[in-house]
Amino acid sequence: MRSDRVRLIVSLILLVAAIVAMLLPGGRQAKGLARLFSRIKLGLDLSGGVRLEYKVDIEKGVENPAAVVDDVWTVLRNRLDSAGYTEAVVKKSFRENNSFVIIEIPDATDTTKAEKLVGSTGLLWFGQAIDERDYDPTVNPDDVNLALREGAQWYADKNGKKWYLIKKEINNRKDLVLVGPRVVEAVPTIDQKGVANYVVSFTLDRQFVELFKNITKELYVPEQVLNAGTTQYQLALKKRLAIVLDDKVQFVGFVVSPIEDGRGQIRGNFTFDEAKELAAILRSGALPARLEKTSANLVSPTLGKDVLEQSLRAGIIGSILVMAYMLIFYGVMGIVAIIGIFYALAIIFGFLAGTGAILTLPGIAGIIFTIGTLVDGNIIIYERIKEEMRAGKTPKAAIEIAFSRSFWALFDANLTTIIAALFLYYFGTGTIKGFAITTIVGIFAAMFMNLVFSKFLLDAVSGAIRVRKAGGAQ
Amino acid sequence: MKIDFVGKRYYFIALSLVLIVVSLISIFTKGFNVGLEFIGGSEVIIKTSKDYTIADVRNKIAELGEEFKKARIIEVHALGQAEHRTFSIVVSPKDEKGTLRTYTPDEKAEISKKIEEILDAKVVSFNEVSGDAADEIKNLTWKAVVFTLLGILVYVALRFKFAFGVGAVVALVHDVVITLGFFSIFGFEMNIAAIAAVLTLVGYSVNDTIIVYDRIREFGRKFKGRDMASIVNDSINSVIIRTINTSLTTFFVILMLLLFSTGSIKSFAFGMTIGTIVGTYSSIFIASPIVIKWVKSI
Repeated sequence: MRSDRVRLIVSLILLVAAIVAMLLPGGRQAKGLARLFSRIKLGLDLSGGVRLEYKVDIEKGVENPAAVVDDVWTVLRNRLDSAGYTEAVVKKSFRENNSFVIIEIPDATDTTKAEKLVGSTGLLWFGQAIDERDYDPTVNPDDVNLALREGAQWYADKNGKKWYLIKKEINNRKDLVLVGPRVVEAVPTIDQKGVANYVVSFTLDRQFVELFKNITKELYVPEQVLNAGTTQYQLALKKRLAIVLDDKVQFVGFVVSPIEDGRGQIRGNFTFDEAKELAAILRSGALPARLEKTSANLVSPTLGKDVLEQSLRAGIIGSILVMAYMLIFYGVMGIVAIIGIFYALAIIFGFLAGTGAILTLPGIAGIIFTIGTLVDGNIIIYERIKEEMRAGKTPKAAIEIAFSRSFWALFDANLTTIIAALFLYYFGTGTIKGFAITTIVGIFAAMFMNLVFSKFLLDAVSGAIRVRKAGGAQ
Repeated sequence: MKIDFVGKRYYFIALSLVLIVVSLISIFTKGFNVGLEFIGGSEVIIKTSKDYTIADVRNKIAELGEEFKKARIIEVHALGQAEHRTFSIVVSPKDEKGTLRTYTPDEKAEISKKIEEILDAKVVSFNEVSGDAADEIKNLTWKAVVFTLLGILVYVALRFKFAFGVGAVVALVHDVVITLGFFSIFGFEMNIAAIAAVLTLVGYSVNDTIIVYDRIREFGRKFKGRDMASIVNDSINSVIIRTINTSLTTFFVILMLLLFSTGSIKSFAFGMTIGTIVGTYSSIFIASPIVIKWVKSI
């Protein structure tokens, strides 16, 4: 029959397209059958990795919030690149008047490093340390009053062990305030004085060099003073330079010579990794908005692999049960259904490989659910064929009637599931979108398989279809 | 071979009423094990080769802080995983004001390290959801639920006469309440995947109902004048094989997923397994018999 030839050609074109999409280069390394799936992108819940989501806290009245989010994106991208996370993905997301940035790092095995890198505002400033405490002075009334009198503020150091009273205006001069300078270079270097520790050397942008020079001149303390009598030393103690990042004191020390080239160092017994991260934060500059962590997910690669294997096992055993049942219950037509299952799965995986849609664990659940419902269309059609044949029609005629009458039944049957999946996709967050995607793709693949591909196969085997007159209802 | 479904309808309606009452009692007294994404907080999933009970884990982690004393600990089971045990520990860290907070990066590193030491285990997953994010996810999920139900109601209203529409909605509410009841009774986690399962089953169960209703309409026209009860009974009998077969094939794969999977997806599989059974049952035994009284003509 001519129309069957058209069905066969269309079905084969789709199948070839699906297989080509799966076999194109650019997938993961894989051998044998696994190669078919090597181009399908796995979600972090299956491959393992870190996913961080932050809300961008944009102040009200900002004219162009989208630009702020763009700037946040750029800063984070730079930081992640500088710290060696080149494979990380940074995404912007907008939901219900809120802006979010999402950072996904495949294969990462801990969130601490990434969270420190992203969570830091990165605001660098220089100040004058005028006093220090070994206890928390913010709960001591005398110390609080002292801060008020001096017009300064207590800041903890990065270990939270020491507190410094710091003024942003050097020697109370309003022209000597250095907040958020651009840093053109920041690198971890070996501490010349320490043992196997690292410091971060930085260079300020040219426009800040003069200001930094004036500040260091103002705070300059000749070296002999440090060795001289106590009064002079006590005075010098009130003239120490403080380097503050994200309101945590990174460094406090005497300026023994004015710095004219805009270069400085942050010392603090850093490991190489810590120094590298701090350098990345300094280099990429301050974030233009505060970020608030809304969710963080870590899935170890071993857990991801376990979960993937478990769901594959469930899918394979489930499929075998479905196929066995169809074979036992429908005989020759059952074989058509089994070929149909493989066909529809090829279309679904071809779609995933071709579009780069991400397969998550709920996505696999969607595919497994689809395997169960794939044959629903076959069953609806087969039952109709049986019914028509019992009424005395030839197999060929029964197939024609069954297909022409089943279209709307199938359409109906799938429409309600599509409604649910579409709203889940629209309102869903995170991995559940993957379920909506595979469910919708699965429904279309199933409908095509049921109505086009199976029709051709059924016509081809129609001579072998038997039906027990006495069986069933009616 | 004809089964008298309609004649026995009061037994089935009684059975459903019992299930609904038990479900509602459990939902309102015991409640749900609500998933992290809806309540916010932190979840640490550990894998250990030690033969701990939940009580062992609880005692050992108590020293980690106030929130760990009140942790919700669930053992995650799956077939074919005998060599180690997996536990999910959910905590709600609070700040001084008593509101939910997220951990700092250093705290997370510290907690992971200590848990691995104390339990001789491996932390395989560490998830956090802030209170704001949980509220947002709850809000979005409600919308998904409301819009899906509305969409299906509109569809049912367009497709059927009023009485059939009412019947389909009664069956739908029946399925949702009983499935939720099972979630509550068995303590399966109520997470987004579970909601996805409930919404999918709503669509799925409405299908089965539609199939029976279509047959009732068809037979109603064909055998005008026969009494409604026998038309409904014949309709059920003529579609039952197809309804059972479509449900069984879905049931096979979903049951395998329930047996073999772990994590959030287990809730999806549980919801679908219960939902497929309840939905099929309601399409055959509840949705059709209850319309007999209201439908005078087709």
